[in-house]
Amino acid sequence: MDLLSNLALGLSTAATVTNLTYCFIGVFLGTFIGVLPGVGPLAAVAMLLPVSFYLEPETALVMLAGVYYGAEYGGSIASILLNIPGTPSASVTCIDGYPMAQQGRAGVALFMTAMASFFGALFGVVVMVLLSPKLAEFALLFQPAEYFSVMVLGLIAASIVSASGALRGLMMVCLGILLGTVGVDVNSGETRFTGGIQELRDGVSLVVVAMGLFGVSEVMVSLRGATKSYAGEKVRMRNFLPTPSEWGRSIMPAIRGSAVGSFFGTLPGTGQTVASFVGYALEKRINRRRAEFGKGAIEGVVVPETANNAAAQTAFIPTLTLGIPGSTTMALMLGALMIHGITPGPRLISDHPELFWGLVVSFLFGNLFLLVLNIPLIGIWVRLLRVPHHYLYPTVIVLICVGVYGISNSITDVWATLIFGVIGYVLRLFRFEPAPMLIGFILGPMMEEYFRRAMLLSRGDPMIFVERPGSAFLLGAGLLLLVLTVVPIKKIVQRLKGRLPMGERVARHHK
Amino acid sequence: MMNRRTMLAATAATLAALATPGFAETAWPERPVRILVSFPPGGSSDLVARLLSEKLSASLGQQFVVENKPGAAGTVAASALQQAAPDGYTFMLSNLTPFNVAPVRFPDTPYDPIADFDHITYIGTVNLGLFASPKLGLKTLADLDAAAKADPGGLEYGSSGVGSWGHVIAEQFQNVSGAELFHVPYKGSGPMRLDFRSGVVPLIFDAVPQNLPSVEEGTAIPLAVSSTERLASLPDVPTFTEAGLDIVAENWLGVSAPAGVPAEIKAKLDAALTEAMASADVQAQFDSWGLVRAPKSSAEFEAYVTDQLARWTPLVQAAME
Repeated sequence: MDLLSNLALGLSTAATVTNLTYCFIGVFLGTFIGVLPGVGPLAAVAMLLPVSFYLEPETALVMLAGVYYGAEYGGSIASILLNIPGTPSASVTCIDGYPMAQQGRAGVALFMTAMASFFGALFGVVVMVLLSPKLAEFALLFQPAEYFSVMVLGLIAASIVSASGALRGLMMVCLGILLGTVGVDVNSGETRFTGGIQELRDGVSLVVVAMGLFGVSEVMVSLRGATKSYAGEKVRMRNFLPTPSEWGRSIMPAIRGSAVGSFFGTLPGTGQTVASFVGYALEKRINRRRAEFGKGAIEGVVVPETANNAAAQTAFIPTLTLGIPGSTTMALMLGALMIHGITPGPRLISDHPELFWGLVVSFLFGNLFLLVLNIPLIGIWVRLLRVPHHYLYPTVIVLICVGVYGISNSITDVWATLIFGVIGYVLRLFRFEPAPMLIGFILGPMMEEYFRRAMLLSRGDPMIFVERPGSAFLLGAGLLLLVLTVVPIKKIVQRLKGRLPMGERVARHHK
Repeated sequence: MMNRRTMLAATAATLAALATPGFAETAWPERPVRILVSFPPGGSSDLVARLLSEKLSASLGQQFVVENKPGAAGTVAASALQQAAPDGYTFMLSNLTPFNVAPVRFPDTPYDPIADFDHITYIGTVNLGLFASPKLGLKTLADLDAAAKADPGGLEYGSSGVGSWGHVIAEQFQNVSGAELFHVPYKGSGPMRLDFRSGVVPLIFDAVPQNLPSVEEGTAIPLAVSSTERLASLPDVPTFTEAGLDIVAENWLGVSAPAGVPAEIKAKLDAALTEAMASADVQAQFDSWGLVRAPKSSAEFEAYVTDQLARWTPLVQAAME
């Protein structure tokens, strides 16, 4: 009953002409911002923030939130078409989305992306509606030890993302972790590996690394002529529709991706990129068609897209229920409230229920708008591939530079992005993939931070990681995943069933 | 009750102000003006800059553009300001950290926080508070003192980072009170507040305004505030000084420029800012953000920044040992 009255309150707030209009403006801008490599929701929300001085707080929040989750829809478009992620969280979508485009199935990948984004977002919204207060409590149960253990699990999962072999993947993960140590050490306050450069004190920014490794290096690869122009795909609606079997194989991965995404979204500070990486890695572990992953499997597009969109929605839970932003973009969202004299905090929902529920209901409208907006656009995006590369790629480079500069108005960041582009290019020459490096870069420093904080709190006793049940469970899950990766379970099962002649020997061993 | 002498003095001062050469004559600003902010968009300092730049754009007839240059405890923005031409087209929303804390903490900071800048207009301050989790069952500073002395080093406190004002003041608190606490540093105040709420760290030294909703809710017990007088938002909470501890911490906000900006530009900007801050809507916004106002002249503000540097230097050095 309570839920219904809350939703009714939300509907009455969200379904006004003004709020629907601003919701549409938000998601529309968000999609396009997401498409442009380098230019992310942070810059867009920052640009729109002054507008919210003139809007009601609900309206402002609905619009800014629309930009935020709309960008997740758009982020994968360039991943699929050009192998250049529009947002860092769409990096994973490159792995299978781009091969699909090379096979002339860009339309299908884009169509599935839109559907998966919609599904994931809807899943996240439902989770939010049903579980918001409980999930906020859940997030509080997550203490440094649990955060550390979930990062370990994520890192183990991530080391198998690589298509070019576990060893190479692991090497790249380690390189990413090393890169993540640059900056001021949280515990001692000492600077590490900054080379005396002031700008490096806060470490290297995620967008810089992601856009350099994926975006700039891809442009360089294409200059070398390694990527061929597309033979051209027929731009007709029915060519975009997935086959019935592809629909079927996508259902379970979509649910799993959404669940993983919803989980990571509720943990402040982890966010969409971790969600899509871990979702993809877990799927690659348990899916029967894992051999097709990395070669244009539809699941490889569905999972990260459901995960990052679900996470984009549930990320609002800690932000709004506790008043603690999980990311800079979320902090901006809260800034829009502060402009109106609303101090974000734990009483936000009880003091301003129309704001919270209005926003939640606006998510439903916003995602519908996004779906309706994105399906017809597929034709236009696919035509983008026909733009000659000597126009397309310079434009991409310019966009990346503008976007990266816009994050903190720093020319150093632009140079750093170009340097990472060169590094990414050299790595690719030697068949090292950037994806595991990115995940190491994201998870490594967080893992270190939480590990050391947990150790501080336990005064140096490592038993804290196994004594806390949540942490012990997560570490156990990580161990299991590791065992599953190393031990060829399938062969053992087959032997036990006696399908292989070796079965006898296995049986004898057991005596 | 106004006597003749003060009246005369006031009149003379007004005349002197009117006669200040160039006050109305300068054509500045003739093109858009940048205001650097040392934080990413969205925080209260950023909002202050945006609110004031709106007002300045309206009253001075040129766009005042907020440019966020976050990084390295605000020193990225301050370095950029130092390198900018002192032509009245680049200013910074200055605050405690890059001018009074970071130069002490990082000896290689490439600027002198006093000599390299003109500190023009004082905006206000945010104060620091010591908050306890209700799980501790403490109500007063004396309770904390007893608890900390019963278990030296057993109680953890969170700060937003090594060398942050919370950390510096917490170390000073331990020095003057004799209580021994255990420091758990965070990367910014967001994660710290999360762990405070979940009870991971039972004490935090943190800015007052952002914790008011938790105080209302009963999930944060304010033990003391770092202002010189009690705060209007927490009238029942004593200051550290009242409790006999010599601790005052003000995270001031102001507007600064590279050294050498023409006097008439500074006067015009100061007048426009003072006028903007006197308006009812700006004051209402400042109140809602917990920014405590106290007017200071440009000269007073310049002296204030110098005085603050002298106060913070030994404290930061002690905390970083």
